[in-house]
Amino acid sequence: MPLVAAFACPHTPQLLVRPPTEDRALVLRVHAALAEVKRRLTAARPDVIALIAGDHIEGFFLNAVPALAVHVGARAAGEFGRYRYAFDVHEPLARAIVEQSIEAGFDPAYTQDVPLDYAFYVPLHFAMPSPPVPIVPLYVNVYLPPQPTPRRCHAWGRALRAIVDARPERVALVASGGLSHFPGTERYGAPDFDFDRALLASLAEGRGAETARLTGEELDKAGNVELRTWITLLGALGEARAEVLAYEPSWHHGNAVVAWPV
Amino acid sequence: MSDVHYFFPPAAAYPLNRFLFALKSDAAARARYVADAQATMRDYGLDEATRAALAGFDRDRLVALGAHPYLLFMAQVRLTMEREPANFEYF
Repeated sequence: MPLVAAFACPHTPQLLVRPPTEDRALVLRVHAALAEVKRRLTAARPDVIALIAGDHIEGFFLNAVPALAVHVGARAAGEFGRYRYAFDVHEPLARAIVEQSIEAGFDPAYTQDVPLDYAFYVPLHFAMPSPPVPIVPLYVNVYLPPQPTPRRCHAWGRALRAIVDARPERVALVASGGLSHFPGTERYGAPDFDFDRALLASLAEGRGAETARLTGEELDKAGNVELRTWITLLGALGEARAEVLAYEPSWHHGNAVVAWPV
Repeated sequence: MSDVHYFFPPAAAYPLNRFLFALKSDAAARARYVADAQATMRDYGLDEATRAALAGFDRDRLVALGAHPYLLFMAQVRLTMEREPANFEYF
């Protein structure tokens, strides 16, 4: 079964639980774009959503830092403030991704029991289709150096596409992350929105493969360490042209919601 | 510490990062810290310089000590969410 949908979404927790520092109107515009993702995801009738996200040192601390990982447990659960989330994991697809990624030379770790990071459940809070479907959490290390190279992420994305295309399920792929932001650093109030805009323009022209040539240092400098999740997705999408549903730069974060035809 | 914003965490900073991880991700650890900050920091094996830097959440000093910037950031967010619940809008 071919891929049935592909999106990239932001996951900044201020979209879920808004402090007074955030522009409410901007937050609501991002919610509206995520509602459009939900509408399109529902129309695509996926059997499973495979989300590619970076762990915010929630599931994986310094006791083990996998470059790539797959959640193959029965359920994936996490909490943020008053919210509690628990999603069914699509075990057959999750297991196939682990087994076939290893056959393809990628060696992802797998887990059956780590707390789910908000990078997964913030997009799902707003965009899970109705009725909900199982998920497969796919992890790309973004915050604990040394992270996988963009080239490696892109190559894994190509392998994921081959795996998904051979599956019986209707699969949606969603990358969670970005764009420019620098949480916890002296650059928090000064994201690189020029980088984001140039990136989105190139993706709209179908030039996603160029992201594989970025370096880790360039991503760090641009506040785009999380772009690795997009680059993984772009590996699965070839030369598809991005449709930018929203780009909403806040005082600290370039919120981008993007769709691709599949 | 480094030319990059997110650097390889030095092994010497493991107790500090373990403590920040607990504040971020463990509600019980946060409650203990709010009730008795000094005792909780000692329980996590933090030395005096680290405890002093944590007293004011002095980011530059903590990062110089090897704190992961993101852990610092989200530990503070989670503490603030619990200290000032009325200031947060849940969607």
